[in-house]
Amino acid sequence: MSGGVDSSVAAALLHEQGHDLVGVTLHLWDASGTEQVGRCCAPEDRDDARRTCEALGIPHYVLDEREAFRRHVVEPFLDEYARGRTPIPCVQCNRTVKLVHLAELAARFGATHVATGHYARVIQQDGRARLLRGVDHGKDQSYFLYGLPQDTLARMVFPLGHLVKDQTRAEGRRLGVPNADKPDSQELCFVPDGDILGFVGRQRGGTAPGTFVDEAGRTLGSHGGIEGFTVGQRKGLGIGGGSEKPRYVLRILPAQREVVLGGEEALASSSLHVGGAAWVAGQPPLEPFVGAVRVRYRHEPASARVFPTEEGFRVEFDAPQRAITPGQAAVVYVGDEVIGGGFITEERAIEVQHASA
Amino acid sequence: MIYLDHHAATPLRAVAEEAMHAARDRAWANPSSVHAAGRAARALLETARAQVAEALGSRAADVVLTSGGTEACNLGVRGLVGSSGASGAVLTSMLEHPAVRVTAEAVGRVTWLPCAADAWPNPEEVASRLGPGDLLAVQWVNHETGVILPVREWAELARARGARVFVDATQALGKWPLNVAESPFDAVAVAGQKIGGPTGTGALWVRRGVELGSVATGGGQERGRRAGTQNVLGHVGFGAACAEALASAAQLERAAGLRDQLEEHACSLGGVVNGLPLPRVSNVTQVAFPGQRADVLVAALDVEGVCASAGAACSSGLTEPVAALLALHPGEPWRATSSVRFSLAPSTTQEEISLACAALGRVLSRS
Repeated sequence: MSGGVDSSVAAALLHEQGHDLVGVTLHLWDASGTEQVGRCCAPEDRDDARRTCEALGIPHYVLDEREAFRRHVVEPFLDEYARGRTPIPCVQCNRTVKLVHLAELAARFGATHVATGHYARVIQQDGRARLLRGVDHGKDQSYFLYGLPQDTLARMVFPLGHLVKDQTRAEGRRLGVPNADKPDSQELCFVPDGDILGFVGRQRGGTAPGTFVDEAGRTLGSHGGIEGFTVGQRKGLGIGGGSEKPRYVLRILPAQREVVLGGEEALASSSLHVGGAAWVAGQPPLEPFVGAVRVRYRHEPASARVFPTEEGFRVEFDAPQRAITPGQAAVVYVGDEVIGGGFITEERAIEVQHASA
Repeated sequence: MIYLDHHAATPLRAVAEEAMHAARDRAWANPSSVHAAGRAARALLETARAQVAEALGSRAADVVLTSGGTEACNLGVRGLVGSSGASGAVLTSMLEHPAVRVTAEAVGRVTWLPCAADAWPNPEEVASRLGPGDLLAVQWVNHETGVILPVREWAELARARGARVFVDATQALGKWPLNVAESPFDAVAVAGQKIGGPTGTGALWVRRGVELGSVATGGGQERGRRAGTQNVLGHVGFGAACAEALASAAQLERAAGLRDQLEEHACSLGGVVNGLPLPRVSNVTQVAFPGQRADVLVAALDVEGVCASAGAACSSGLTEPVAALLALHPGEPWRATSSVRFSLAPSTTQEEISLACAALGRVLSRS
């Protein structure tokens, strides 16, 4: 229970259905400094979770997972940025600290299931747990959950999976949830002000400056660190004029600390590679198949052919997709069902490089 | 609910509740007011002060009533470090409650007394670290493990070297007569909620003639030693609890048998008792469970209806590694995050301990 409206309403709905509940808030990170906007694991959020539990008459515990969060989520996040990627730490968090570990802790409380406020659905079919998109496709969070192993997924309960956000708030008001009108958080929980470059700098003792180059390798200017950029980015490059059309980040080359800029058309790509895939069924599909693939959280799954490989999978889209970004997750759907996913590698970018060379 | 966390707070004694109930029509007034209403509140406050003084073994005039143990510790440590003639050096140990440990670090030049259970400091070692104007700040009973510190012995040597002595007796009050007037101490802190009084009440005894630097500024309440209108109703309860606490001190020994039973059961489940082989009070045991997380165990026990404690809880609900355990068992840092404290009352029953043992077994079997 983060203290937000979703987990609070999830608890209230289960309580109304007569389940025996234990409220748990994971303390993952200490917000520091005065610059934080939304804060992370702030005392106010813990108090909101506690108030909800008090209103429901259920116990509430705060468990300290700061060490595990740093080890499993924050350090890999920083390492990925150093490799010129744009990581998606929520995937990593859910399959380590937040849900897999929480499922283990739940057993200590004698709890058979773990419920969260995610917008996703789990059904049992053919002897295994299947993960489906939330009914509210605008809020659907199945993208972050593809990495859950079967034994965790089988114990998950997502009471909001059938609701749209407005219904969640309405249910919250109907059930007297104290924070039903609290605004949603938008940024990464541990970087609430969205300043990744500043965060990396504070955590890793500074960031190394580098240069902007065009596709031909000509220097266009300098930047404060590759960690401040993501593929497809146009705003905030801090490099103006000189170019008639808008410039976008096409690639990040960590060894040279170069950020390659170019026109939007060069962002389009029809394929991607994934290493280290996780398949919801626990086993990789044996044959290539047709599905839809999402390349970032705010991306509607796009039709594609998926080719399982030894270490992951390759995706061939029916139509080119914009700004496929190394480090983000590619998640494969068939209809509403999540088949699997994994992190996008640079392999595509190298192909493009060769093509343009 | 099986309540085994009496070192955190004790249920309000019936005598305290009755006294507060009887005082409710008078206790609201400002005891510093000269009029009839104020005098009535003042009378209640002074009766309470006399009761607290009796439990401490002192004169009423030497007792400063505070908002609790932490404020009493602050007043004692800050007041003595800030008094004229003080050197600013404080000898204390990592066993101390944060009310003393953190305060000493904030106001003094701290020297840490090594207090490993298997390498306990001898009195001469304590004395050799003290000089004129220094402050020895130590607890009588360790809040986590129940270890009893030889504070009288240490204090006598400290005074012989011209040092001042502050004793945190928060966990000692109600366990034996403190007899502070005959003690070698200069200031002693106690708290209401450890002996069946209400939370938000405490007291600092200060030896007559010992100067205290001011901590809070404001009015001249408590003979100028603690500014602010007193919590009259709370102190009425504290005083009433004090009057009964000493009488029931002997009954606490009854808890020893049950404590031992619980402890043996915990050890049979893989637990290791903290603080041994040092002498301990009879109502508490703190057990380290190798490979376990104390915060999870305490939450899981709570789900089973057993109230226990995993180190000093702060308001966030997070549990920090127990500093006292790092000091007591320096070679075994895992104890600091895997220890659960069970503290009993004279009223704890055999049935409660049997149920608690069963719950502990269930929780540990689920790992």
